[in-house]
Amino acid sequence: MDRDDIPPGMTAQPLSRRAALRHGAATTLAAARLLAPALFVGCSTGIPPRQQTVSVGLLHSQTGTTAVGGRSLRDIEMHAFERINAAGGILGRRVEISAPNPRSRSELRVAKARQMLDRGAVAVFGCWTSGARKSVLPLFEEYKRLLLYAVQYEGNESSPYCVYGGMTPNQQILPLLDWLTGAAGGEKKRIFLVGSDYVFPRTANFITKKYLKEKGLVPVGEEYVPLGDRNFSAVVKKIREAPADCVINTVNGDSNIGLFAALAEAGIEPAWLPVISTSIAEDELRSLLPEQVVGHYAASCYFQSLDTDANRQWVKGFQNEFGYDRVTGDPLEPAWCLVHLWQQAVEKAGTFETEAVRQAFREGLEFAGPGGRVRLDPKTQHTTKYFRLGQIRPDRQFHIVHQSRGPIEPDPYPQIAFPGWSCDWTQDGVVRGAEVDIDGDV
Amino acid sequence: MFRPESWYWLYDIPPARLAGLFIAAFVGFYWLGAIIIRPILRQFVKHTASCNDIVGYVLSCFCVFYGLLLGLIAVTAYQNVADANENVTREAAALSALYEDVSRYPAPYGQNLRWLLRDYTRYLIKYGWPLQQRGIVPEEGTIRAEAVHDQLLEFQPRTPAEEIVHAEALRQFNNFLECRRMRLFSVTSALPASMWYVMILGAVFNIAICWLFDMRFLTQLILGGILAAYLGMMMHLIFDMNQPFRGDVSITAEPFEMLYARMNEG
Repeated sequence: MDRDDIPPGMTAQPLSRRAALRHGAATTLAAARLLAPALFVGCSTGIPPRQQTVSVGLLHSQTGTTAVGGRSLRDIEMHAFERINAAGGILGRRVEISAPNPRSRSELRVAKARQMLDRGAVAVFGCWTSGARKSVLPLFEEYKRLLLYAVQYEGNESSPYCVYGGMTPNQQILPLLDWLTGAAGGEKKRIFLVGSDYVFPRTANFITKKYLKEKGLVPVGEEYVPLGDRNFSAVVKKIREAPADCVINTVNGDSNIGLFAALAEAGIEPAWLPVISTSIAEDELRSLLPEQVVGHYAASCYFQSLDTDANRQWVKGFQNEFGYDRVTGDPLEPAWCLVHLWQQAVEKAGTFETEAVRQAFREGLEFAGPGGRVRLDPKTQHTTKYFRLGQIRPDRQFHIVHQSRGPIEPDPYPQIAFPGWSCDWTQDGVVRGAEVDIDGDV
Repeated sequence: MFRPESWYWLYDIPPARLAGLFIAAFVGFYWLGAIIIRPILRQFVKHTASCNDIVGYVLSCFCVFYGLLLGLIAVTAYQNVADANENVTREAAALSALYEDVSRYPAPYGQNLRWLLRDYTRYLIKYGWPLQQRGIVPEEGTIRAEAVHDQLLEFQPRTPAEEIVHAEALRQFNNFLECRRMRLFSVTSALPASMWYVMILGAVFNIAICWLFDMRFLTQLILGGILAAYLGMMMHLIFDMNQPFRGDVSITAEPFEMLYARMNEG
């Protein structure tokens, strides 16, 4: 504005600090009044709200002897939690997974479990062998938190702080023996027992011997090799010399490579001497040469080849996430079901607090898993299972040759082996029966 | 005491908004100072003849040094991001070469190794990268790298061809480990606190010198505001590049995402 343009009666003055402040404050207040509704009502800050989290541990060895199974279990459990998180989490909280590596070493396993519990893990899914589970269970009882164990085991154990998702002997060993000694299995009478030297094979074989004794049978041989050992030539020699008409194999982990190599080298054919394994699933089959294992059997609750829509969808989902050639198998399916059963329990309890979650178990939880509907037995904290027998195919999958009519109720203390023992966590817990010496005479 | 890491929560703010916040903070500081501190400071130069010339001369001298400092720091920070980015690309390339090498291994080693490498890549994309973006070094990637190493060492080549492939795979694995280690180092790498002291004090001095100018108040607000806004932008840029995996100017997991997509093609 030129000085000449100033209307008469007005004088042009430079804007003083005081005047600027006065005008500035007035303008700011007016602008704030105008813009406030738009700025503060219903406007997002643009920063996604941080969802509250809850910590869950996965205790699986990712290196060492039991790594193959451990890694697969870790993956399926992560997959389950990722899907749960994508659907909004549990009780509105995002599940944060911690998966340390115990390296298949007992002392590390205990240390890692303690570390996770100290850091606030509300539950831990984990362990592969019974030895592993037994080594950490006292810790969970001390911290009063839940361990969810997905692998088949020998029974003869119950802890209020453990949920057992795998098969018990009455869901695996006993139906297998029924089939084997029946017409469908060729009425086998000369059964040879071979296993890794640890608690599961020894207890499973103890139950087997008790069962066979009731039928008037005695195993023609029983041999154990240290876990991880691959030298089976002496064992196979004994199998030939017995002579056995079938082998029940409770060998675990990489040792199976040595066992089947030795069997093939000795010219043993599944047609006349079938091996029925209790701890071989699709994952383990990848390490075994098809020409050495085709025709042999595995006893399980689930096989990837199960021909149902639910299973096909589940397998596809897993492969889409982890790779087109990944395989599912027995411990993966129970692990998947366990995660969802625990989720249900937490949601029923409305809290992650262990005692409330255990209380929710009593309401009878069910989940439609890929292998069929499973129910969590409130008395034993074990799950119902189908029994399935698969024959190994050349494509490293199983042809299901037998399946139980329906899910079998769990019994961690089969009376044939543990008379007087029972478990009911809705009542008095474990009722002790006669002392049983697993390594003693049957 | 000023600790840069105590301000890292700022990285959680969307980049455009953060830039606005920096500018607003600097301009606000300038304006506030112009209202409150300027009248006091002006006492020192009020009656000095041609004070604006003196203030202008001091400001020019100061700006040369401060501009150089800011420029060098910005270049260093950018170089840091560029180096980390190159390292990430090299890690993905080594991983890709390793994946190809182990595909030649006999079963089950080849398949096991492919699974393990896929697992590593998936973990990095889904879990590792978000942690890095929060300035946390992802720990569980080490477990997965160890699993690959164990599986590689378990394989015993039986033919000369297998020996060559195995040697190459081990070489690629070492490359991969080296890049991985460097990436992990760069997760927490940042400008030292002393640099931030100098930068922030320099900005305050710069602004304080501007308050000494004798000019109309509105002009003071506008010109000083422009200078303060530019200082805020520079500070934001340096802050953004301070940590290679955080902020708007940060390294993405794209090389690994592309690799993972290829791994899953079958």
